[in-house]
Amino acid sequence: MVDSSPVTKKFQKEMNAGIASLVLLSVLEKSSEPMYGYQIAKLLEEYSGDTAFMKQGALYPVLHSLENSGLLESRVEPSVSGPPRRYYEITPEGRATLVTWQGMWKQMKSFVDRAVKGG
Amino acid sequence: MIQSVEGYLEALKAELKNSDVATVQDALGDAEEHLRAALASLREERPGMPEEELLARVIEQYGSPEETASAYREVERRTTPQLAKENQLSGSALSRFFSVYADPRAWGALLYMLIAFATGVVYFTWAITGLSLSVSFVIFIFGFPFAILFLLSVRGLILIEGRLVEALLGVRMPRRPLFTEKNLKWIERLKQLVTDLRTWLSILYMIIQFVLGTVYFVLIVTVLSFSFASIAVPFVQEILNQAPIQMYGARYYVPTWSYPLFVFGGFLLWTMFMNIARWIGQQHGRMAKALLVTE
Repeated sequence: MVDSSPVTKKFQKEMNAGIASLVLLSVLEKSSEPMYGYQIAKLLEEYSGDTAFMKQGALYPVLHSLENSGLLESRVEPSVSGPPRRYYEITPEGRATLVTWQGMWKQMKSFVDRAVKGG
Repeated sequence: MIQSVEGYLEALKAELKNSDVATVQDALGDAEEHLRAALASLREERPGMPEEELLARVIEQYGSPEETASAYREVERRTTPQLAKENQLSGSALSRFFSVYADPRAWGALLYMLIAFATGVVYFTWAITGLSLSVSFVIFIFGFPFAILFLLSVRGLILIEGRLVEALLGVRMPRRPLFTEKNLKWIERLKQLVTDLRTWLSILYMIIQFVLGTVYFVLIVTVLSFSFASIAVPFVQEILNQAPIQMYGARYYVPTWSYPLFVFGGFLLWTMFMNIARWIGQQHGRMAKALLVTE
C-alpha cells in the first residue's frame, strides 16, 4: 500500500473483503495438511512479496466466518511453545464452493482487466 | 506504544468493548496465538534484536489493535442477521415472551403505530382532497397540471413513508424516488402517472393508513390505560385513598391480597401487547412493501 489516503484505504478494504475468502480457501485447498493462522499468514507473506495487501490480523475473522459457513473445519491442538493453536482444514463443501469461486474470479478478473484497460 | 503481548490484548479488548462476547473471545485468542508464534519465529531469525523492536515489527504486520478490532467488527456486522435469528429462536417461550422489552423492533413498531395515527390522517386528507380536486378540475385548463402535481406529491409522500417504515419496522424500502422521464409533454406525463399501477396502490395505501392508524392508536391508548390503571390500583387505594373502581356513584374497593395480582396483571397485559405490537409492525411492514414496492 503505497498510497494511504482514506479513500484508498477504504478501497483496499472493500476489495479485500471478498478476495480474502477466496485466497484463504485456495491456500487451504492446496495444503496437504491442516494449517494454523500464523502459518497461513507466513505463506501469504511469501506470495505477496514486499507489498502487504492486508493486515494479518484481518485474516482471522475471515477464517471464522468461513468456518461458520461450513467451508472450513478447525480443531485446537496444544503447541510445544506458547498457547494452543487452531488448525484449519477445508471441507468437501469448501472444495466444491472453491471451484465455483475460482470460476467467478476468472470471469471477474478478465472483466476488470478489460474495463481498466478500456477495450 | 505497546510493550508486550498482554498489552496488545488489553488494547484490543478495549477496542472491542461493544462487541459480542464471543467475538471478543475469538479476537483475543487469535491475536495471542499469532503474536506469540510470530514473535518466536522472528526471535530466531534475528537473535540480536531487542524485544521491543521485535514486537513492534510483529504488530506492524498483524495490524494495530484498532485495525484488528475493525476487521472483526466488519465480519460480525455482515453475519449478525443470522445470529439475530438464532438468538430469537433460542431460549424458552417464557423468556422470549418477556425479552420483548429488549427488542428494538417491538419499540419501533410501537412508535410506528403511534405515528401512523398522525400520518394516516394527513395521507387520507391529502389523497381524498387531491383526488376529488383533480377529477373536478379536469374541465379547466389548469386541471392537468394540478393532477400531475398531485400524483407527483403522492410519490413524494410515499417515499417518506417508506423511510419511516424502514427505520421503525426494519423492512427494507426504496431510498430513491421512482425514476420519472423528463422532457415529456404534460398530457403524456399525466397519462404515464395515471396508467401506472403503483400510483393507485400508493393512494390505496394512504387511505388504508388512516383506518389502520386509527385502530393502532385506539389499541395503544386502551391497552396502555388498562395496564397502567391495573398497576396503579394499590397506589390509588393506599396512598390516594380513592376507590379504584367507581361506577354509577358506587365505590368499589379491592381486597389487599389482590394487589400483587393487579400489578402483575397490568404488567402482563402490557408485555403481551408489546409482543402483539411487534407482530403488527411486521405485518404492516409486509403490507407496505407489497403495496408500495411493486415492479
